[in-house]
Amino acid sequence: MKFQEFSKFPGGVHPTDGLDKRLSNQESIFKYIPEVVEISMKQSGGSACQVVVKQGDHVTIGQIIGEPKGFGAAAIHASMNGTVIEIKIVKDAKGQETTVCVIQAEETKLIENELEYSNKLIDLTDISKERIIGAMKDSGLIGMGGAGFPTHIKYETNKKIQYVLINGAECEPFLTCDHRLMLEYGMEIVNGANLLVKAADATKGIICLEDNKKDAAEHLKKLLGDVSSSLEVKVLPTKYPQGGERQLVQAVTGIEVPMGGLPADVGIIISNVATAKAIADMIFAQIPLVSRCITITGRVKKPRNYLVPIGTKFSDLIELSGGFEVTNNRLILGGPMTGACLAINVKAEELEGSVTKTSSGIVVLENNNEGESPCIRCEACARVCPAGIVPFKINHAYIDENIDICEKLYATECIGCGSCSYVCPAKIELAYRVMEARGEINRRKRERGVK
Amino acid sequence: MKATKLEHMPKLNPHIKTPSTTSIIMQDVAIALIPALLGAFYFFGIRSLYLVAASVASCVISEFIWQKIVRRQSTIGDFSAVVTGILIAFNLPVTTPIWVAVVASMFAIIVVKQFFGGIGSNFANPALMGRIFIMVMWPTQVMQYVTTFHSGVDSVTSATVLSMLKGGQEITQFSTWDMFIGNIPGAIGETSALLLLIGFIYMCYRGIVNAKAAIIYIATVIAITFVFGGDGLFTGDIMTNLLGGGLILGAFYMLTDYAFVSARGKLMLAVLAGIITAGIRVWGGYPEGVAFGILAANCFIGFFERIKKTHVYGVKDKQNEGW
Repeated sequence: MKFQEFSKFPGGVHPTDGLDKRLSNQESIFKYIPEVVEISMKQSGGSACQVVVKQGDHVTIGQIIGEPKGFGAAAIHASMNGTVIEIKIVKDAKGQETTVCVIQAEETKLIENELEYSNKLIDLTDISKERIIGAMKDSGLIGMGGAGFPTHIKYETNKKIQYVLINGAECEPFLTCDHRLMLEYGMEIVNGANLLVKAADATKGIICLEDNKKDAAEHLKKLLGDVSSSLEVKVLPTKYPQGGERQLVQAVTGIEVPMGGLPADVGIIISNVATAKAIADMIFAQIPLVSRCITITGRVKKPRNYLVPIGTKFSDLIELSGGFEVTNNRLILGGPMTGACLAINVKAEELEGSVTKTSSGIVVLENNNEGESPCIRCEACARVCPAGIVPFKINHAYIDENIDICEKLYATECIGCGSCSYVCPAKIELAYRVMEARGEINRRKRERGVK
Repeated sequence: MKATKLEHMPKLNPHIKTPSTTSIIMQDVAIALIPALLGAFYFFGIRSLYLVAASVASCVISEFIWQKIVRRQSTIGDFSAVVTGILIAFNLPVTTPIWVAVVASMFAIIVVKQFFGGIGSNFANPALMGRIFIMVMWPTQVMQYVTTFHSGVDSVTSATVLSMLKGGQEITQFSTWDMFIGNIPGAIGETSALLLLIGFIYMCYRGIVNAKAAIIYIATVIAITFVFGGDGLFTGDIMTNLLGGGLILGAFYMLTDYAFVSARGKLMLAVLAGIITAGIRVWGGYPEGVAFGILAANCFIGFFERIKKTHVYGVKDKQNEGW
């Protein structure tokens, strides 16, 4: 496998001028422990967990409070010492019911202790692959980039893995939590990356970031130093959606992941930098995944990055960031390109929801909506599509309810990056309909399979 | 499945969108046409502005009224009718009766554009169709070309440079410079290559035009007319063919009109349009062939879309039969 001279993937957009990231990328991570956390038993899109504590129970940090109910879930731990004051059922943004465990903290003091793995490279010869994968499971580790797939399942693959890509691209506009994490927890990430390489039995780990984070790249390179390690830092030209799994594989290696396949099929596993840090925390400090870094940015008074326990209420974070600058706001959980809309025109104190293992940020934007106008066939959507499909044709076919044509046009290969909707001058919700078409095709395929 | 209903519309991602809109693109095209519009006024006088005003107004009004009649949402705000109106006028000689321009505009907007579903759904360029329509209906009214105010003599009826070329005449009274700046008889907007080029550069700067297709189209026409256009092979008059007619206007503003074909398909479309245009000029009955060339090529769009194959990520190209 030879690396391309110029790393790139076709299509893609430059959604913003970079000023959005500058709102918060110089703000060091602010550690905060709230008085109350609300830990959702559904940490990712996959299946949920079963609560194993009850009201009044005393819990300690790292104690399991949720056991996975299905394949796609990972264990959930108490994120601080305290008492379970309530187990409640709430409706999430998508309208599904979720169990939430509310814990009242005993104390909200920060405990700072210097650990060895945050200062120097650790020798991993004594640590076996099985131990690392076991630790992933015990830690309740899931992909922290957003998809939230349990990490141990990814690494239990029987495929021969050559490269582990540590994803620090953070191509979504506004978000800076991974950037700050690499700057402030560089050594943890490096040690974690080495663990991931070992867990995958890979020959090499590559920390990938975009050239809008040159300071982080320099920092990581300095940490790696002259030590001939199996790690490498790769700086890619900034372009959205660089951080998409398939795009990252293509950008770094020039290889395409085959249709319907996983990166593991071409010998590659991808993990987020935050995931790398989390596995280091578990192996070297026995701390499971109970906290994460999150960016609160956009139209808030003080855009900042936070390191908070899982379950920290969004309303607390908005308050810490000085509240909204605009009243006609639109709150996005995650980045503005793929993130879900959390709320519209909401008051800070009325905001519901709490930090999960996959929450990378809350972006507050002004809420302005433009309606759709007719397609002018400018083909901009086809030009920017990193999957190489033609969104506007699929859009037409889907509106005509012609799912077979959507399938022939490879709607299934959509990665949902939203570049097409972003670039459309007619403001057509292309990404939405192509993803709907994809869902419908897959649903029909499953039905056919059952029959 | 309710595909067209978007109940969750305000909540859909992406939550940020490009500032560009259809309206802004069309306004940019209109802005790009302003230098040539001023040129038309300079060379052919105030009547050229009346022609433009009449066709723009009738385009916008007929679109508005038609959409009222069929109860469609009005799209006059997107400026596409304005661009069509300007282009129709630009394709007419200054002597054209106003009512003919109005008829051309109504035909272009109602029959060519709205009958086929409005902006983006028309199969051919409405402005060119409008122009062809009146050319067939009232040939004498739309073929009376005159010399410009600055040609040394008073405005007199004159054949276009291309007609002279077609008729085998020696072109002596117009220098290449005259043709470049637009000081020749012709349709009001097509004569000045210089001013059209300025607008084209603006469109390139704004990234709203397929420059490659335009250049390939021009190159094809020039190559064929050079090879076959003269008395012997390779003796065709390059400059007259390039600057004497509507080639520049057609290539820059009408060939690249939005009608989807893939990047490669668009280049094939440009070559085909070039072959037809040059063929008409060299062997056909008309001195000019830009309008027919582009329209004929437009009809092949469906064909080009069928044969093109784009690469889909992760799909082996043999698997991808195209559609």
